Amino acid sequence: MVSLEFRRDRIVFRYGDQKYEWVIEPRYWRNPVIGALVLMVLPFLVYQYPNILTMITTANIYAAIAIMLSLQTIGTARLNFGPQFYVGIGGYTAALLNLYFGLNSALTLIVTILVSLLFAFLISPIVLIARGLYFALITLILPLIFLEITFVYGDIFRGESGLSGIAPLLNLGSVSWNYLAYYFLSLAMMLIYLLVVDKTMRSRYGLAMAAINDNEDVARTVGVNVNKYKILSYVIPSVGMGVAGWFIAHTFRTFAGITYLSLDFMVKILLMIIIGGRASIYGSIVGGYFVAFLEEGLRTLGPINYVVFPLTLILCVYMLPEGLWGLYHKRHYRDYYPKLRVRRR
Amino acid sequence: MLELLQSIIVYSFVFGSIYLLVSLGFSLICGILRIFHLGYGLSFVMAIYLTWMFMTELKLGVTLSIILMILVQFAVGMLIHWGIFQRYLEEEEKLLTLSLLAYLVFAHFANYRYPITAGVHLPTTIMYGALSIGVTTISYQMFIAAITAIFVTLVFVFIFLKTKLGLIMRAVSQNLRGSMLMGVNVGLTYWYAIILSTIPPIICTLTIAPFWSVDPFMGESMLSIAILIAILGGLGNLKGSIVASYAIGFIHSVVSFVYTSRFMGLVALIVTLIMLLVKPEGLCGAEKLW
Repeated sequence: MVSLEFRRDRIVFRYGDQKYEWVIEPRYWRNPVIGALVLMVLPFLVYQYPNILTMITTANIYAAIAIMLSLQTIGTARLNFGPQFYVGIGGYTAALLNLYFGLNSALTLIVTILVSLLFAFLISPIVLIARGLYFALITLILPLIFLEITFVYGDIFRGESGLSGIAPLLNLGSVSWNYLAYYFLSLAMMLIYLLVVDKTMRSRYGLAMAAINDNEDVARTVGVNVNKYKILSYVIPSVGMGVAGWFIAHTFRTFAGITYLSLDFMVKILLMIIIGGRASIYGSIVGGYFVAFLEEGLRTLGPINYVVFPLTLILCVYMLPEGLWGLYHKRHYRDYYPKLRVRRR
Repeated sequence: MLELLQSIIVYSFVFGSIYLLVSLGFSLICGILRIFHLGYGLSFVMAIYLTWMFMTELKLGVTLSIILMILVQFAVGMLIHWGIFQRYLEEEEKLLTLSLLAYLVFAHFANYRYPITAGVHLPTTIMYGALSIGVTTISYQMFIAAITAIFVTLVFVFIFLKTKLGLIMRAVSQNLRGSMLMGVNVGLTYWYAIILSTIPPIICTLTIAPFWSVDPFMGESMLSIAILIAILGGLGNLKGSIVASYAIGFIHSVVSFVYTSRFMGLVALIVTLIMLLVKPEGLCGAEKLW
């Protein structure tokens, strides 16, 4: 009937004619599980230092954006050079609605999703029309236009100084509990994104995306509806980034165009997926944490850190041709995971 | 009404010429190497801050500092080509990010060493005073900058149309493989293109430094002007760049005279976006140099 059996390398649980196994030998451990556990324990070790907690919260948000950008890159087979556009849309929608109309965070989430969806659908035809450099160009220009708008209509958007006083996502009464809660919320968002993207990549849809990424014409020949997949894989990650922007606005309670729409932020996001390893999904988490830690760690150097930060990143790109994930992948080369192939035409 | 029209014409001429000089090097790289040099702003920032550095720290004269700065610029251009463009020509995302990072390193360094309060300025004013054309008054230096811009452009056009190097560059920009078959040393042409493309920003910065607002992050605005002009005229098309520069200059002056100068950047961006969606190959057709 019911039996529990401990073997050398696994635990076997039998119920009727059903059999469940859990492999405990370390080399078969599922690394994502360990990673998630480490990230769950981490805040309890550093809970006395609010700036470290803020840093790892930021790292989670960065990683969430990078995961979505990776999915978008693989699905559309093009690199979006303006991922911050949707972060900006999400953040500004949440901030403006909250400040001027007094909507609470649940309502702003719904509106943020709708607005990001609308913009993503309106802009999505460019994945079909724009070839080569033009895709990079259009996506590069969109956030610049948005940034310019936040400057021009400064009395509404406050692009330079930032909107502040946005309602917090939750309030537990004590400041240190709030920090912890925000960390876990950001972690939850990141893990949900990771789970969704991971499942997608391993499913039929992921296979079709990988086929499009490898060779669009061949994919079309074998019957993949290329246009549908490209549109979908442009729109859904964009909404994900918009939600990340909503999260930023409600967590840090301030949102400025100059911080989140500028080229500096774009470079940071792109570096996460480059240092993480050419748009590999787990790599983008490592990349997100790496960039956030580096940014915060270098701040101890004083004003020179603005020079050292890009220098370090340049060195990283040179030293790690396949990214940090590539170091792992070298030893586990049999795991197939689609990765970015950028084409020039 | 007539006075307004006159101001608009004069200022579109002056700013169009300056924008032409700003975008010339960018279009050149775009046309020949077929890449976006997002670190293009580096040349502008370096032109000012290196000259200032040589003048104040090494106590050199203005002319000597400028010569030294030009040499360093060539060296840095070659370094960027060797380290970034050559290595990552096929990996677009690394190329763009690395070139932008190279710019950020120098811009932040300049900001660290000489923050905006340090009062960096270049004594490159050639002629003081102001010129009156009808009701419009502009300083001589602006006028000289515009004339210089036209002269430099003419020299470049001459190089492209009348010399063998120009012929080779046009060939490379039109058909890379075909020019290789004809025995063009493409690698060497790229080096020449890099060297040539650093010259217009240097001349531009030196002539406009007395009246332009100089700060360590001026490269970004210059880069965005260059990108807009490159898109509007057709990627890397020199003829298109000339037309587009005056178009952007016209848009800027019309918007700032008729409406308010706050909107001039936005209007130019939106015009370019519409251009990209309606006629992506630009005014004069992309993928060729002339």
